[in-house]
Amino acid sequence: MFNEVYKNSKVRKPYNQIIDWAKSLPENVIVKKKNEAESLFKRIGITFSVYNNFDSTERLIPFDMFPRILSSSEWKTIEKGVIQRALAINAFLNDIYNTAEIVKAGIIPEDLIFKNPAYEIKMVGFKVPKNIYSPIIGSDIIRINDKSFKILEDNCRTPSGVSYMIENREIMMRMFPELFEKLKIETVENYPTYLLEILKTLTPLKCENEPKIVILTPGSFNSAYYEHSFLADLMGVELVQGPDLYVDENITYMKTTKGPEKVDIIYRRIDDNFIDPISFDSTSLIGVPGLFDSYKSGNLNICSAPGAGVADDKAIYAYMHEIIKFYLGEEAILDNVKTWRCFKADEKKYVLNNLHKLVVKEVHGSGGYGLLIGSKSSKKEIEVFKKKIEANPSNYIAQPILDLSSVPIFSKKELSPRHVDLRPFCLVGAKKTKLVSGGLTRVALKKGSLVVNSSQGGGVKDTWVINE
Amino acid sequence: MIIKVNHKTLYKYSTEVPKLIQCVKLYPTQCENQKIMEWEINCNSGKIVESHIDGLGHKILNIYNKNFSGELEITSKGIVKTKDLSGIMKGLSEKVNPLCFLRNTNLTLPCKMIENLTKKIKKRNLIEFAHELNLSVSNSIKYVSGSTSTSTSSREAIEQGEGVCQDYAHILISAARYCDIPARYVNGFLYDDLNASENATHAWGELFLKEVGWVGFDPSHKKCVDDKYIRINSGFDFLDASIIKGIKLNYNGNESLESKVFIEPCQ
Amino acid sequence: MLSRTAENLFWSARYIERADSLARLLEVGYRISLIPNTKSGYINEWESILETSGIKETYLQQNHKITKEKIISFLLFDTNNPSSIKNCIKNARENIRMVRTAVTLEVWNAINSTFHDLESNTRSTKNILKELPEIIEWVKRQVNLIRGTILNTQLINDGYDFLILGTYFERADFTARIINVKYFILLPSVNYVGSEVDNFQWSMMLRSISSFRAFKWAYGEEQINYIKIIDFLILNMTCPRSLIFSVEKINHHLERLCKFYKQKTKAKSQVKLMYRDLKKLNANEISNIGLHEFLRSFIKDINVIYSNLEKKYFFGTEE
Repeated sequence: MFNEVYKNSKVRKPYNQIIDWAKSLPENVIVKKKNEAESLFKRIGITFSVYNNFDSTERLIPFDMFPRILSSSEWKTIEKGVIQRALAINAFLNDIYNTAEIVKAGIIPEDLIFKNPAYEIKMVGFKVPKNIYSPIIGSDIIRINDKSFKILEDNCRTPSGVSYMIENREIMMRMFPELFEKLKIETVENYPTYLLEILKTLTPLKCENEPKIVILTPGSFNSAYYEHSFLADLMGVELVQGPDLYVDENITYMKTTKGPEKVDIIYRRIDDNFIDPISFDSTSLIGVPGLFDSYKSGNLNICSAPGAGVADDKAIYAYMHEIIKFYLGEEAILDNVKTWRCFKADEKKYVLNNLHKLVVKEVHGSGGYGLLIGSKSSKKEIEVFKKKIEANPSNYIAQPILDLSSVPIFSKKELSPRHVDLRPFCLVGAKKTKLVSGGLTRVALKKGSLVVNSSQGGGVKDTWVINE
Repeated sequence: MIIKVNHKTLYKYSTEVPKLIQCVKLYPTQCENQKIMEWEINCNSGKIVESHIDGLGHKILNIYNKNFSGELEITSKGIVKTKDLSGIMKGLSEKVNPLCFLRNTNLTLPCKMIENLTKKIKKRNLIEFAHELNLSVSNSIKYVSGSTSTSTSSREAIEQGEGVCQDYAHILISAARYCDIPARYVNGFLYDDLNASENATHAWGELFLKEVGWVGFDPSHKKCVDDKYIRINSGFDFLDASIIKGIKLNYNGNESLESKVFIEPCQ
Repeated sequence: MLSRTAENLFWSARYIERADSLARLLEVGYRISLIPNTKSGYINEWESILETSGIKETYLQQNHKITKEKIISFLLFDTNNPSSIKNCIKNARENIRMVRTAVTLEVWNAINSTFHDLESNTRSTKNILKELPEIIEWVKRQVNLIRGTILNTQLINDGYDFLILGTYFERADFTARIINVKYFILLPSVNYVGSEVDNFQWSMMLRSISSFRAFKWAYGEEQINYIKIIDFLILNMTCPRSLIFSVEKINHHLERLCKFYKQKTKAKSQVKLMYRDLKKLNANEISNIGLHEFLRSFIKDINVIYSNLEKKYFFGTEE
């Protein structure tokens, strides 16, 4: 396991100053500051909803005050790697929804794309505004050692968590202004401005004036609702729900107290299937009838494009190096995690024989659900998974159990290391890309745990890129 | 053959509909099997807007109505010149990879009975296999008008042993996909010179056979499509391929639907 | 502004006002239970409290008997009662949460912390009867805090108008209903006028809208009589709980909206007429029309105005 703070019992450079500071904090101050942070979060309303079988409740996402720090040279690598990946993903989507050269070239098996339920045939042959399918990509990065960062997965549909990135910073600045005076910490507060700037470049075919942009949310019961309203506020755009919009003669309008107002670009935070009950799931109550035809007739842009999710499929992930090479002619800057694809007989065999030291994931799953961590599972659980894999091999991939790097948290008495990952948010517009220097660091609060998802006992940390 | 078609869909609403949006796929496919000589789509109320041509080559229209009450009639009519190409669809202007049509939907999930249909057939070449499959699907259920509903799945149809053209098509699709042959649902019109009174909208299946491409099989008539068929649209199943899809907003009343078609050969 | 935003602001304010009214009703109930020798009147009083808050039927569906404890917890904390104070606060917060960014951080904090505190109050309350005065005080204080925060921090724009409209539509409706439920005690009846019971009932009603003292200020220490009460509760412009006061506010804010959007609305012309007519009326005339009749048509008119406001600004369906 790579400890980000200590190397051979010496403090690594990026953490030099912070470790002294953290150790100098008296216990009562830590407790006080912790409470302060919590009440700040609660007052501002940053909560997320947790669903179980009975009801949904609002919870605070646990926040740890010890920052995760990257040097600016470490960040440079991540930045370049993430942008490269985002560009390749968009080029890939544009290709597979048109002539599918990458399949013709024999680089990706055609089954993997065309049989994939995330491949949306309604998008085939459609010219997406500016050829950008996925303008916001949140890739999950883990650190292996001093040199190497790896991408664990990509999120091309509607990655969430960016509000925590900004709020964590806000709260750290309020509580420890002295640190920000002393250290040169790159700012992350420009994200909403960048996002607006990027979306503005993605005008639909029929849009002559300054585009009207809105954020479409499923509503206040959605677990990420806080984030939706947070972004709308900071971007200065309306946060709308399905019933706030309607389509007339293929033009999309929102209902305002002044009367109808035309909408040009929707940053949607609802899933493909629910955006339009005419073209997709006819039982959807959160969608807008006619929205998809408004989109396809060039009157509207929907970001991300329906069908963009095929690119973050875990089976496609395994080909990301080839994808980067094919479209950009470059070698991948950030490595993938070794992945066994169970649809290949030899790889499946390896997986079935080595389940105890692998993580098995559903190809289309997310949020840390539907996965098996071999080393942490009982024999019975492993047997159950074995049967699942045998029954439907193409639904699973496996990866080695990775030792995520660790960063300390303020636990009861002292600093104690916990596993972390990192999610930066890459923005891709027409002929430009943007990335703030920072991201969301998720931390597994349980000692030894590798699951960082907030829905399963994960917390968050502020992420600092320090200018050397 | 030159065929003249006049297709009418009549919607009746019990009370005023505040907002009605419809998506219409009613233009015949333009390909070598059929040439559209003239075609028009009209509606007695509301605004018709051309939307786009989708990846399967369907020309899509939208109809918008506000505060509508009474009867809404959508007419689709014209003249099509057809050619018998032994079921092989030539010159389709579509961009979707056939492999996409290996995906099943709720209406086409296979079951033991459907699997068994495919097992009885001796495998020679793919084309012969497809013809045999079409025949065995034809024999798997009895044609009984009104025996199933629009939401009947292939499994339910074969288990009850009766169905209409929609069910034959679903069983064929289901069986073909089970054998890894891409298959899809097709809507269209059939001119039946023997039972002219029974002319109506019709449905059949298309199977993608590597050597020749998409081939139209009509299990309810035990044959491949010929020059008496006019192809309108295709999709994963009956629901996906509906020729008219509509959504009524803020409407609690009833809706009834009637559809009529007049088909006759042109001299 | 988005139509739904306007609607959420309106209803949030409306629910807050409703919580306030309920707290005052409970206060009256509590007072009565402290006064001896009013046994029969006392059960009636609780019943009319249920009636005034419009939830008698809901209550009877879930409870067989009308008892003090049950009614109190039904009105305060019962989540099965759509109009309990707890649900009002919850709905107010839910409405504001949906348009979180249309109000200032201070307003959000005020509403959000009221919600969270009420949640923990519910859990920590052991003896509801004993702790009632404290809880009522707390609700009233929180409502005043929220309203003060709105006045002090919100931009005075269209969103502000919708907040204020929500308050006064609720208040007009509530005051009209409370008078209506009690209209019989305001009828001149030979048997009752000037009797102890009468005075007691009247003062209780004034208290329920927090206007007992105000009444004394406005009319001096002379004997309370029904004409004065009608005048005070319906036609007195200085009484913030009178019907005319609410109507004037609704008129004012609808007019602001019309100017702001440079558009006419039916609601506005209707409320203008209503306000004009009320100004011309006097208490004797209302008594002649029949108080009950007057209130019935008042409630109906207010509802018509609301439904036109809704069509215009919330649904976008006004012709």
